[in-house]
Amino acid sequence: MLRTTLAGLVAHRLRLLLTSLAITLGVGFIAGTFVLTDTIEQGFRQLFTADAAKVAVAVTPKDELIPAKVLDELTALPGVSGAQGLVRGTAPLLDKSGRAAGSTATSGISVAAGPLDRTSYVAGTAPGGPGEAVLDENTARTRQFAVGDTITVLDLAEKRRQFTLVGLIDVGVDQNLAYTGAVGFDTATALEMTGAKGYREIDLAASAGVSPETLKKTVSEALGQTYTIKTGEELARKLALDSNVELDYLVLVLLLFGCVAMFVAALVIYNTFNILVAQRTREMALLRCIGATRGQVFRSILLESAVVGLVSSVLGLLVGLGLGALGLAALGRFDAPVPTGASVALTPRTIVLGLVVGLLVTVVAAVLPARGATRVAPIAALRSQVEEQTFRAGLARSIGAGLLLAGGLALTAVAIWVLDGNTGLLVAMGGGAVFFLGVIVIGPVLMSPLGAFAGWVPRKVFGVPGRLAVDNSRRNPKRAATTTVALTIGVTLMTLISVITASTRETVVSSLDEQFPVDFMITAQYGREDGMPLVPAEVPATLRALPEVGLVAEMRQDDTGEIASLPDRAVFRPEVVSGSLAALTTGTVALSETQAKNLGAKVGDDVPLTTTKAGKVEVKVAALLGQDSLNGTMPYTVPAADFDKYFGAIGPVRVYVKVKDGTAADVSRRAVEAALTAYPTAQLVSAADVRGEFDDAFDMMFTIFAALLGLAILISLLGIANTLSLSVHERTRESALLRALGLTRPQLRGMLSIEALVLGLVGALVGVVIGVAFGWAALQTIPNDTVFVVPVGQVLLYLVLSALAGVLAAVLPARRAANASIVGSLAAS
Amino acid sequence: MTMTTDVRAAVVARGLSKTYGQGDAAVHALRGIDVSFATGAFTAIMGPSGSGKSTLMHCLAGLDTVSSGHVHIGDADITTLSDKQLTLLRRERIGFVFQAFNLLPTLTAEQNIRLPLEIAGRQADQVLMDRVVETVGLRDRLSHKPSQLSGGQQQRVAVARALISKPQVIFADEPTGNLDSRSGAEVLAFLRRSVRELGQTIVMVTHDPVAASYADRVVFLRDGLLVSEVTQPTPQSVHDMLLKLEA
Ligand SMILES: Nc1ncnc2c1ncn2[C@@H]1O[C@H](COP(=O)(O)OP(=O)(O)OP(=O)(O)O)[C@@H](O)[C@H]1O
Ligand SMILES: [Mg+2]
Repeated sequence: MLRTTLAGLVAHRLRLLLTSLAITLGVGFIAGTFVLTDTIEQGFRQLFTADAAKVAVAVTPKDELIPAKVLDELTALPGVSGAQGLVRGTAPLLDKSGRAAGSTATSGISVAAGPLDRTSYVAGTAPGGPGEAVLDENTARTRQFAVGDTITVLDLAEKRRQFTLVGLIDVGVDQNLAYTGAVGFDTATALEMTGAKGYREIDLAASAGVSPETLKKTVSEALGQTYTIKTGEELARKLALDSNVELDYLVLVLLLFGCVAMFVAALVIYNTFNILVAQRTREMALLRCIGATRGQVFRSILLESAVVGLVSSVLGLLVGLGLGALGLAALGRFDAPVPTGASVALTPRTIVLGLVVGLLVTVVAAVLPARGATRVAPIAALRSQVEEQTFRAGLARSIGAGLLLAGGLALTAVAIWVLDGNTGLLVAMGGGAVFFLGVIVIGPVLMSPLGAFAGWVPRKVFGVPGRLAVDNSRRNPKRAATTTVALTIGVTLMTLISVITASTRETVVSSLDEQFPVDFMITAQYGREDGMPLVPAEVPATLRALPEVGLVAEMRQDDTGEIASLPDRAVFRPEVVSGSLAALTTGTVALSETQAKNLGAKVGDDVPLTTTKAGKVEVKVAALLGQDSLNGTMPYTVPAADFDKYFGAIGPVRVYVKVKDGTAADVSRRAVEAALTAYPTAQLVSAADVRGEFDDAFDMMFTIFAALLGLAILISLLGIANTLSLSVHERTRESALLRALGLTRPQLRGMLSIEALVLGLVGALVGVVIGVAFGWAALQTIPNDTVFVVPVGQVLLYLVLSALAGVLAAVLPARRAANASIVGSLAAS
Repeated sequence: MTMTTDVRAAVVARGLSKTYGQGDAAVHALRGIDVSFATGAFTAIMGPSGSGKSTLMHCLAGLDTVSSGHVHIGDADITTLSDKQLTLLRRERIGFVFQAFNLLPTLTAEQNIRLPLEIAGRQADQVLMDRVVETVGLRDRLSHKPSQLSGGQQQRVAVARALISKPQVIFADEPTGNLDSRSGAEVLAFLRRSVRELGQTIVMVTHDPVAASYADRVVFLRDGLLVSEVTQPTPQSVHDMLLKLEA
């Protein structure tokens, strides 16, 4: 029996190739995930170990920074040959136009040459004195600075200080520095520029003959329990561990997509084995006639699937290596703060996991077809023609599908109307998954009407080949359903993501339009101090003086972010739920609806306020503001004059500017920029900038998801190609007959393309409908009012692309069918 | 060799050879055959198994390429045509009835009958359609799928399909090979009627002397050569000739 199976495998190797490709890609994705993350992990380990080799003992603070006197103390300890304190704070770099670079202040760090220096230099050297500085290479590139240039950095008092750029450094995997950019000084200058009150780490080098452990003991005895003391090796291990936690999220997200790809691959396998079994009915029956038991037939098919699974998993591991390297290259291209230098690693865990998953999925997917094969009666060997498969929806199928569909809808309904927040979203998605299973079960029933629907136009347009193609697509509903559902999964997820992205984008834009009916916004640079950074208090007045500016409104709030001053009402039109803003005079307050509910207060009541300048005060509620208005999220809003009284004349967190009507955008921008020259850290953004940033972020997210889903879609297309080529094989004589009757080769090819087109379209149609519906459901679970938008263009594009992809999948099978000799095919059994 | 095309001949083959394979493995299925088939006649091709009957028919019908020689259908030398031209020629001028698997399982009997016309984008001649359906005797079966028809009925549908496009010639390869003698007789009678009443030209390959006796003329093949022929055949005369050939 084993010999027969293997002979069969060899005979059908071409047919099995496409099948194995599905598994190969699925396993490749999963293996690739691990290859990528293992490589990064290894890179981290190498990096930290290399760094740690330079440091014997590292002292880090538990909460506060380490004061300077500790450094002196440590330097004096026996066994210490060198000590260096690391400084980190903010030191806003000014770009060439004289404005602070970036929305977050550049980090200022200490860079000291010597044996303890862990910096890696891309060009130049370490700063040799107070007049010199280094810059990270990314910032240098984006802000166009080169070694030898003079750079300007703001010191603690916002005074401009000039440095000669002597080197470019690589910040490596430091996420924080990679985000903010870094300018490095010698230790003393770094302390001065950042105003840091101590060190965030002190590194010690040991004298000859002193082991790190011994030194650690000495240091512990000297410092006691106040600080964390680690040897260089321990430090490396901890750093590597921290970075792995972040990697775990990456693994999780990637594996999620890997599972989708694997599920699609399983469907393809299931379908292929079903078809193979159907086509080999006679072979199987013959085996039974000559005495093979049901068990033997069953095992022979499982064995076949196991061989396919094993071979494709091995190939999948190789693909995984490639994908991992590709992913690494992509991360490298986008300057992600991960080590990309390590050579790709295929760990034993990856190998075992890839093989097990590939093998298991293939064999499990083949179990049902194998069981079908055992039902073949020996008498079938004697029948001359393979019976046309007729499909009737059995009672069990109807009930099962009904339960799943209803269950899925019920879960989703509960998620929308009972639950909310993250649980709601998760339950809604779970409901979607259950509903989808229902669709898979009921698929064969839907296939015929949907095929007729999707085939309506091709039938009309493409004449006889079109009609025959549409009939063929509906001929074996079970097979067609399984084939298309694989594509449906991909299209559903793509549509879902499109709907959610488009809706969120629209929500953000419309709330921007509503809350930001202005041309410019000015904020302070982040990172300079804890809490909300403030724009200098005199900025609003400076701007009001400009002839180009129409309205200026300042948003001020207290440190807790609870109490705000009422901005200029010419710019803002908050939604007043009760009371009136006109009544918001001295000694009153407007509450957000939520806060009023929390306090149980209504208009006319007195509520207490805690202030910094006036202590506790009682104020009367003058109005309640709706959730949607700009200040709706601020619990308390008081008149501007009162705010000064309560908190002093502090600067605003944001200043909004509306230009005078008729002023050109670039003219007003230049005017505002000029007015802000004296305040280099104030960040000027236009409404268009903000929208552009959101758009970029959304596009980026969408592209990543689309790329990750691409593999699942590719696998489903392989499935279509596979089904078609098997069908073509089955219909060899039919094709020959048609050719004999005068169907030209192009017409025959066209016929198969149209069949694939219809299959693709049906799969996409179902996917689009489910995707839109569950996209809506997902949005309903988000508590804030989210606009529901269907990106019609994008969705139509999916339909068109799916249809085209179907046609593409049909190219090879169609060629084979069209090029077959008529006489030879007629003789085929 | 000069070519004089017999105006009354629907199909003419001259020096037709067909060799499968090469070198030692070469099989000379046809070794230079000269034959012509008169318009409006019903001709049977007979011969022992492996004598080249199917091969001859495939070459005559343009389903297979020839190794050398020429085949004329009407005024067209089909051995010089491209695949596309051949396909169009088959569509317009040739009808087929095969031994088995003649019908598309997805189409009804009527759709199967109309199929060649639709492929050619031609309108069915309704009078002819009625007449053909009447002759075939399948009026109440037209909406059935092939799987719902008996073998004999399926073959009759196939013959009706071959007739409907009024081809210059119909080639039939053992059209009754899979049928019992009664169904076979029905189909053969029908073929002969279409020759008599519709003036159809038919070339039929068969093993069965009784089937051959329905024809106007029987030609005999042996080892890829045309060896003799019988006109106005009876089952007995055909049988005798076969015995002589096999001896
Ligand atoms: N594709 C092929 N390749 C090689 N040889 C072939 C091929 N087709 C037919 N032959 C050979 O050509 C010869 C003629 O075959 P053909 O099928 O024409 O015979 P036939 O007279 O139709 O026989 P039968 O009565 O059994 O149908 C045979 O020897 C056969 O083995
Ligand atoms: Mg034959």
